[in-house]
Amino acid sequence: MSAVTTHSPHDDAHGHEVPYETQMRSNRLGLWMFMFSELFLFGALFTTRFVLWGNTRPALSQEIGLLATGILLLSSFFMYRCEVGAANGDQKTFLRSALLAALMGTIFFIMVVVMEWNVFGLSGELFGIELFGHLKPSDGVYGGVFYAMTGMHALHVLSGIALILIIWWNGRRGFFTPERHWGVEATAIYWHYVDVVWVFFYPALYLMGHAVK
Amino acid sequence: MGRLRHLINIILLLVLSTVGLRYLFESIFALPVAASAEARPIDNLFNGHFWMIAFLFSLIMVLMLYAIFVFRRQDGDETDGPHIHGNRNLEITWTIIPTFVVIGFGIWGAVTLNEITRPKEGEMTVDVVGKQWIWSFTYPEQDNIGSGELVLPVNRTTVLKMNAEDVIHSFWVPEFRVKQDLVPGRETTLRITPTEVGSYKLRCAEICGLNHTLMEADVRVVDAAGFQAWVDEKQAVPAFADLTAEERGAFWASAEGFGCVACHSADGSPGVGPTWQGLYQHEVPLADGSTVIADDDYITTSIHDPNSQVVGGFNPNIMPQNYLEQFAAREQEVEAAEAIDLDITADIIAYIKTLQ
Amino acid sequence: MFRNTRIILTSALVKGLVGQFVAWALGYGFIAMLRAFRGLPTPGLYEPAVAFGAILSVIGFLVGAGVLTDWLKLIVGKRTPLRHGAPEGKPEWSRYLNVDYNHKVIGIQYAITSILVLLIGGLFAILFRIELAQPGMQWLTNDQYNTLFSAHGIIMIASILLGVGAMVNYLVPLMIGASDMAFPRLNAFSYWVAIPSAVLILMGMAVGGWDTGWVGYATLSLRAPLGIVLFMLGFWINGFSSIAGSINMLVTTATMRAKGMTLFRMPILVWGAAAASIIQMTATQTVGVALTMSVAERVLGLNFFDPAGGGNPILYQHLFWFYSHPVVYVFVLPGLGVISELLPVFARKPLFGYRWVALSSMGIALVGFLVWAHHMFTSGMADALRMPFMFSTMLVAIPTGVKFFSWVATIWEGKLPKNPPTPLLFVFGAISVFLIGGVTGPILGTIPTDLHLHDSYWIVGHFHATMFGGYIFPFFAALYYWYPKVTGRMYKESLGKLHFWLMLPAFWVMSIGQMSVGLLGMRRRVADYDPALGITTTHVLITLAALIIGWSVLIMIYNFVASTRTAPLADINPWRSRSPEWQIPSPVPEFNYAVPFEVIGEPYDYGLDGATYTREVVPVPSGD
Ligand code: HEA
Ligand code: HEA
Ligand code: CUA
Ligand SMILES: [Cu+2]
Repeated sequence: MSAVTTHSPHDDAHGHEVPYETQMRSNRLGLWMFMFSELFLFGALFTTRFVLWGNTRPALSQEIGLLATGILLLSSFFMYRCEVGAANGDQKTFLRSALLAALMGTIFFIMVVVMEWNVFGLSGELFGIELFGHLKPSDGVYGGVFYAMTGMHALHVLSGIALILIIWWNGRRGFFTPERHWGVEATAIYWHYVDVVWVFFYPALYLMGHAVK
Repeated sequence: MGRLRHLINIILLLVLSTVGLRYLFESIFALPVAASAEARPIDNLFNGHFWMIAFLFSLIMVLMLYAIFVFRRQDGDETDGPHIHGNRNLEITWTIIPTFVVIGFGIWGAVTLNEITRPKEGEMTVDVVGKQWIWSFTYPEQDNIGSGELVLPVNRTTVLKMNAEDVIHSFWVPEFRVKQDLVPGRETTLRITPTEVGSYKLRCAEICGLNHTLMEADVRVVDAAGFQAWVDEKQAVPAFADLTAEERGAFWASAEGFGCVACHSADGSPGVGPTWQGLYQHEVPLADGSTVIADDDYITTSIHDPNSQVVGGFNPNIMPQNYLEQFAAREQEVEAAEAIDLDITADIIAYIKTLQ
Repeated sequence: MFRNTRIILTSALVKGLVGQFVAWALGYGFIAMLRAFRGLPTPGLYEPAVAFGAILSVIGFLVGAGVLTDWLKLIVGKRTPLRHGAPEGKPEWSRYLNVDYNHKVIGIQYAITSILVLLIGGLFAILFRIELAQPGMQWLTNDQYNTLFSAHGIIMIASILLGVGAMVNYLVPLMIGASDMAFPRLNAFSYWVAIPSAVLILMGMAVGGWDTGWVGYATLSLRAPLGIVLFMLGFWINGFSSIAGSINMLVTTATMRAKGMTLFRMPILVWGAAAASIIQMTATQTVGVALTMSVAERVLGLNFFDPAGGGNPILYQHLFWFYSHPVVYVFVLPGLGVISELLPVFARKPLFGYRWVALSSMGIALVGFLVWAHHMFTSGMADALRMPFMFSTMLVAIPTGVKFFSWVATIWEGKLPKNPPTPLLFVFGAISVFLIGGVTGPILGTIPTDLHLHDSYWIVGHFHATMFGGYIFPFFAALYYWYPKVTGRMYKESLGKLHFWLMLPAFWVMSIGQMSVGLLGMRRRVADYDPALGITTTHVLITLAALIIGWSVLIMIYNFVASTRTAPLADINPWRSRSPEWQIPSPVPEFNYAVPFEVIGEPYDYGLDGATYTREVVPVPSGD
């Protein structure tokens, strides 16, 4: 790639560069619009669940669901600390909270996907709680909807984790300042959003309707 | 003064154009003959819509062409038009009036729909099954007789209870006007009251794959006596035990049986699957390059596990892969009724042997 | 010559395509390897491998083309300044083959791609129209016919989305006085991701085609040939382009308008584009879900739609039409905006009822979200849904009517030129064609008549009329109208008029012919018909008309290509428009307005002495 630039300081003088504040307004608005757009993605999955499952749901491990949800909510708290840290120039809080949030996100991912999806051929028990779900992709609509909802959400969790790791990596090298840390802010908003979506998905998957199978 | 002249011109042109267009529609927007009781209210609604189309089209076009030709710029005129920004009353008018018009049409549509879907007295039921790419009909009130053509008594409402086996199909006889999809996994219904004796064609109206174009069935509307005669004739079909294996095979292959004929022709004409004419004991080139002789074994495997030996030039996955179970179910059914020992696969092979 | 070849071969486009096929092969190989480890052979064109490769291939294209380069650098903490101008040491034209961040370059890239895609889709139409000219099968098999019309449908729709992207990208920043879109890199992404998506769809035709039409209904999609997977993935990937592009457009309009440009002082086209973007931004997600689920059901064995596992085939239709109905307004709203934009200029009168026209776009967009099930009146969905959707469908007629009446009122007593130039002709054509398309809509909206018309050629006539009237004609009008702005030269008026006078009558024959055969019982999506229906002559006429439309489009392309070099230079403002983009030199300078403008009047105050829309902002020294 010949990523050569004909950009010169002289061009800046022409004032075509968008002022930072305007760009920030655009960024924020863009992010919110993206999330609004995603609302329709999750909404469609949500609707699918009600059309296909109606007033039933598969029998899933309540303990794991509750624990995973709790961990994800907790991670949001650390994400918040992370942003505050960045905004106050508190490198230590910023970096440490970012890592904690990413870690909790990973645990959530492992619990909801690796443990609940019965495709990895795992089995086991802890304190009498069955650790691994029994829903297979071939389990009709129960498999389908569960895999689709958790899968699509997990995709967002994974990308969120990736974003957190990126801001952590760059943050360590002093990429962000209290004045300019849009990357951190955006990651935080995104992470909270993914969290909120799960707040709706969790009852739809684990609580509503009566369990069958 | 000038305004009034324009108004009169417009109204004259509008009336002329509306009536002229509506008259033109008689030939360019002609409907097929109406052969069912449902068609009448529907055609009335069509008529109303055609008037509206003629009127609205004329309205906008007359105004537009009038403005283009009457107000156009004169030679040497370089000025702008009058500075008119808008007119709230006009805007409200042309919001409110169309609102009433469309709601009116909505109510008309609702009333008509109610009329044509309402259960009627003395209804008869026919079960319709559509599968790629064949129709079959069963008459539960006439001893479950089966048929590959749809025969209906005139002036009696028939309720079609429809199911699809594989993908969505759609029941449409243009002369009856109404249409309904057949959906796998659920039953849909359609009411038809034929009013004209005659022959029609049922054509599948929902894309259903490769041979959607060819998914047709004959429809015959007959008088009450004719219908009874047809039912009697159908009921008089000999029991399976009285048929030869070849005759049974031909039956299994037909639309009333398992619909093999939808894909396999008996006369050498091309189809979705290889023709059966001259198949038996001849060499068949397979998709993987090898060849086999079409003996009993080969045909049996081809029916029970069609993907295992795909013939060259044909696609896998088109033929259903559950004929073994379908056959078993049917064999049990017939054996229970007639106490004979049935082997549908063997019957079909016997039939194929006759097609040399 | 050799130099030019080298520039083309090293362009982002070629690198992207190479990247795409390399990634595809890698993806395929990866799955094959996984299978080999488990001791399984991989048959040729093994579906999961093809699908996985296809998804990777899109990334391969983007990486190969360099669309992601700046973002990848940002990930490792390197801020890159926006690149401007042609790649170093390369001629100006090579910008159009490379990743460029200028909204005008991207707009032109969109436009050219859109026209090329239109040609491909139109060519398919002509191929299958020739088959339909006579009953009986002449030169296509059922298989080929099905693939051709399905591809025709989706490719034409892709072409429209690209064309909308062209108008939005080129015009919106200019009209609102911005130097570029809010997110130039995202803008480039929106354009470039549409290319691998089109490649996937075309590849779908090569690996067996598919026979579901552009709607891809379940459960047929589960049984269709392999091509359907690539069709669905291509459709899905195209959604990324729509969503990213529409967010960009909305944000640009929200934050980057010139000083003093309130919402009701924006050029009216911006309203249409904004309404269309709102639809694209939201509804696209649901069709994405529907397509993802279909592919997952086929490739991964999950169950959503197949009743054998408890699924619901109607659910697919709901999710699909929740997007695909509103999207028809994405096609037309920018087009109708072009009509509203051009009429005042040529009639030398203000746009009648500006606010009503502006809000009617939003009205159409919003009501458009409530009517999707009118495509499913015969589908066997819950009976209770039929009536509400019938009434909501009828309501769309009202805001659309407001537009028509306002247009007529705009030209009423206006000073239209005696000899209308080509763009104006296309606007008139658009109004008449969209009108017939529109008024043939309510008859589909009332259920009893739809029971006859559904899946007949009446619908084919209806939607070709709405799409030609609401998009193709206005798009061509826009191409002619802004051609001098884009190139600085004037196209040949005589050829433009020839194009119009060939295309309009031919289109009328085609569209009315389609409606006519539909009423008589011609089904959609069939390769053959019964001569007993008495529609053979009409089919011949439709096919002839199709050929004429094809020729006329080729004339336009010739006109545009030939005029770029030889035609006389155009005046700065040949149409005497008040719009800001016509007040600056053509072609537009790299950063649009050398001096930003400020809005001090109404956009369409023609006929009011001394009224001005914009004036240059007096530069304030220092600060930003
Ligand atoms: C640009 C595209 C476009 C546009 C603008 C429209 C506009 C409309 N469409 Fe169309 N439609 C399609 C593209 C479009 N459509 C496509 C592609 C399909 C087929 C998809 C497929 O199956 O492949 C389709 C199919 C389709 C169906 C499904 C038919 C079926 O499959 O059974 C229906 C049913 O209601 C319908 C209705 C309407 C209506 C009511 C409008 C309205 O918006 C029209 C409103 C306009 C007017 C009414 C004219 C102007 C108004 C006035 C002058 C005011 C006064 C008016 C009155 C009093 C009525 N359309
Ligand atoms: C904008 C959208 C658009 C446009 C412009 C067109 C344009 C045309 N359409 Fe299309 N059509 C659709 C969208 C569109 N269509 C859709 C969505 C469907 C539904 C598909 C489905 O059912 O799933 C459809 C279906 C459809 C059918 C129904 C098929 C069926 O149900 O079996 C028919 C039949 O007549 C048809 C005809 C035509 C014709 C003749 C043109 C003509 O106007 C084409 C004119 C030709 C050109 C513009 C090209 C000129 C090029 C050349 C002459 C060759 C040069 C080529 C190269 C250099 C590469 N179309
Ligand atoms: Cu069955 Cu089309
Ligand atoms: Cu619609």
